[in-house]
Amino acid sequence: MTAVTLYDIGLKDFTLESLPRLKELRSEYFARGPEICIERARYITRYLRYHDDAADSSELRQAKKVNYFLSHKSAQFHDRNLIAGSTTSKALGAPLFPDFFALTLWPELETVSDRKKNPQKLTPQEASELNLEIFPFWMDKNVLEITRSRFDNPECLQLFENLVFFIAAKAGCISHAVPAYTSMLQYGLSGLIEKAAAHEEEMAGAIDANTKQKADFFRAVQVSLQGIITHAEHLAEEAEQLARIANNPEDAAEFAKMAAICRKVPVGSAATFREAVNAIWICQVGIHAENINMAMSPGRLDQILYPYYKRDIAGGHLDIGRTIELVGCLWLKIADNVTMVPEASEELFGGAGTVPAITLGGVDQNGEDAVNDLTYIMLRVTELLAIRDPNVNARYDYEKNSQEYCRRVSEVILNTKSVPAFFNDKSNITALTGQGERLEHARDYAVIGCVELASSGRDYPASSSIMMNLAAALEMALFCGKRPITGEEQIGPITPDPSGLRSFEEFWQIFKIQLDWLIEQAITLNEYMGAVHQEMMPSPLLSALFIGPMDKGEDLIRGGALYNSSGATHIGFADVVDSLNAIEQAVFIEKKFTFGTLLEQVRADFNGQEGEKMRLYLQNHTPKYGTEASIARKNARNMVQHLFDLYQSHTNYRGGPYRPSYWTMTNHAGLGGISGALPHGRKAGEVFSSGMTPVSGAAPELTACLNAVAELGGECVPGCWALNIKYTPENDVETMAQRFAQTIEAYFRAGGQQVQFNIMTYEMLLDAKKHPEKYPELMVRVSGYSAYFKDLNEMMKDELITRTQYGLTDGLAVPLPPDVKGDS
Amino acid sequence: MFDVIGQKATEKLWKDFRKCFDSELAEEFLQSLLTLMQIVFVVNHDYRRNIDKFNGRYQFSSKDGEVTVGVIFSNSRMKVVEGVIDNPHITVTFRDGRTLLNFIISPRQDILGSMLKHDVGTKGNLNYLYKFGFMAKQLQLMMPQVG
Repeated sequence: MTAVTLYDIGLKDFTLESLPRLKELRSEYFARGPEICIERARYITRYLRYHDDAADSSELRQAKKVNYFLSHKSAQFHDRNLIAGSTTSKALGAPLFPDFFALTLWPELETVSDRKKNPQKLTPQEASELNLEIFPFWMDKNVLEITRSRFDNPECLQLFENLVFFIAAKAGCISHAVPAYTSMLQYGLSGLIEKAAAHEEEMAGAIDANTKQKADFFRAVQVSLQGIITHAEHLAEEAEQLARIANNPEDAAEFAKMAAICRKVPVGSAATFREAVNAIWICQVGIHAENINMAMSPGRLDQILYPYYKRDIAGGHLDIGRTIELVGCLWLKIADNVTMVPEASEELFGGAGTVPAITLGGVDQNGEDAVNDLTYIMLRVTELLAIRDPNVNARYDYEKNSQEYCRRVSEVILNTKSVPAFFNDKSNITALTGQGERLEHARDYAVIGCVELASSGRDYPASSSIMMNLAAALEMALFCGKRPITGEEQIGPITPDPSGLRSFEEFWQIFKIQLDWLIEQAITLNEYMGAVHQEMMPSPLLSALFIGPMDKGEDLIRGGALYNSSGATHIGFADVVDSLNAIEQAVFIEKKFTFGTLLEQVRADFNGQEGEKMRLYLQNHTPKYGTEASIARKNARNMVQHLFDLYQSHTNYRGGPYRPSYWTMTNHAGLGGISGALPHGRKAGEVFSSGMTPVSGAAPELTACLNAVAELGGECVPGCWALNIKYTPENDVETMAQRFAQTIEAYFRAGGQQVQFNIMTYEMLLDAKKHPEKYPELMVRVSGYSAYFKDLNEMMKDELITRTQYGLTDGLAVPLPPDVKGDS
Repeated sequence: MFDVIGQKATEKLWKDFRKCFDSELAEEFLQSLLTLMQIVFVVNHDYRRNIDKFNGRYQFSSKDGEVTVGVIFSNSRMKVVEGVIDNPHITVTFRDGRTLLNFIISPRQDILGSMLKHDVGTKGNLNYLYKFGFMAKQLQLMMPQVG
């Protein structure tokens, strides 16, 4: 039976005009610039410098330092938001994690506040404290340097530091998780502490190492959760103080209410919708004390919060308007932090948010329609606020969810021009059951960060462990284990010069030798870093909010979750597949060029008349991924299957498999910018295609494009993908939403796992690049997440401009304006 | 009085340092930077705080082998050594003076970009480089304005 009782699922009566608090908070949000917050770095460093006990277990050391930070963390109320608690001490804060890459900020401590691109404010006093007190302590103590010293600066680490082969993301984070909040809401943190204490008590006096480690883990859980409780008490004290000095009775009442809520939750169980929302948020704040702010995703909030909503509505304690206001406040809280990005990293990561994902709709654990009133309320909030974070995602089961729901999600995408992203329940549940997850657990999946999948609170997927540059492997196959950018250095195995090859199959084998070698290097480094994380960065606090660790007595980092895996995503998929297609067709089938001639021209970046002639042929007359061409479909399938087989044959340090995925953040722009020419006619320095998206201009027909991508979906892509589609906006939103929904359904029925949209034209994006002041809030989908167009680096803007734009009515690619190269 | 003497002593060095940014003396950037850094550590107490209790060993080498310089920070002092030093925390190999200048200091510190383009290579603990980059940037910000 449907849980939808709203008379209007679009909730059109509720606007920002009728919700002045949200309007005010949204306006303040856009007016704010990010500020660097050094609170965590300060207190973690002080703890380690003055209070750390080396005799404590890794879990207990981590718990004590997190508790120390949370106990000292300032209680801030920056605005009239109804939810208490902030991730950082700043209204829009970039927290520093010296355990990872915070020291990259060091060179620009005195200039970061005023740099031209994406400045982040830092006071001179804080800069001095970082320079003289905090950063020196961490000189050889972050994850990267401990890995280097522990494993004697291994080859795989040096390869990573080349930056052009793969990225080992554990040097910067694991995070990427969806907690299970249901137990916390039901029993409160005090209930979880009691449970941990009982387990610890059972193990008292044990002398075997294994039991002692478990007892230590349960102790660590208690210590870390107590940190959240202490911080909530400080929030209550501050709110009480603000209530006393408030200028008007309304504000005083709101502060008093927040104080009462913080006294009650998350220490105790939540009884009301508002208490549940605030309890979840304060726990998110606590999670960020322990784990870096990267893709810590609250999950299926329309499901978790629904019982509280339903009870309050039935009891007359809540109405729709107030629910929208509270959800809007939560969305803005989730958006209260950004990542610290040093200027040097802007090329690769500029404009990225922290990608906390929220997942709506889909089916429940029994496989039935899970869409409810809160789903629509959260969609309406997403539509009204139209902000970068949280990263809202809509699950859709075309057999169980209603078409009205699909149309409503489509309408929100058309109105915001970009969010939410659509996820196909059928394919994604298949992908997770293929990983050995129980059906009811797979059905309860949520999206992490960009696009990755996880059974809510059961799955610890470290989903961004490896970012593999597929084009690096291709270049190494073309040049006998070397890459043009690294010169004469022999990087991979010495494989035969392709000039002498007699078949495409021989080249495919060589390509796999180089690819497999690179992947082995990346996996080896991930294993090393995993071991360092186990020693240095356990997560007892996050573990307490998961299903598994509290039963096993094992931290997430040691395999405590019900399901464990490591994720590897891939950059340059479409470009590499198209290059393979070009080699097979032009060299081996048509024999239009010899492999030797092709290599010469690739080396020379297709310079000169002959080079350009060859380039145009390769670009225009060889099979393309994203079309019905059989060679392209075969090569895409082979690539996906090979990567799946290879990763799945490895077991990680937590006892789980590696899961391949295809999303690229902004790396496809940065890595494309430094890569040489490729055999499909791509010139050196041009950006790669994003995620799983066909190369710009390569797929002229929308239906064929969607089918070609969709047929790759399911079991072989357990980490999911990001497919970017750009549509021409049309005046009749209702009709467009209808066609939009039909296209989604057809793509999902063909097996597509995910798709995200930008509803904008080449011309609009060109204008936004030339006149950023006219588009201060223009939000775009990058590859799995949203960004404000103005914040992106130039290469990424160009990539978005030149992405293929389709007309939804005729399903054809709109020709790129002739003079467009993306540059203004 | 000491500041005045210090200022006089560094006047020419500042001039040379500035010229590095005006391009024609970029090849001598490293020598200019290290010399100036040594002097400013002596004359400027605030700047000297950067190396209080700091032990760091840096090796700088040009790809053509023309330049091989070691820099050792120890006991609040800075020492520059021609040639190869033992056990550097970080080794920086650069294509030329201009690429090193771009890498470390100006006009826009482009550490990642330089590494991506392989204009500069490093081996060792990058945190030492970040600290060095900060000290170099401070010098740039302290550079007297031309009247």
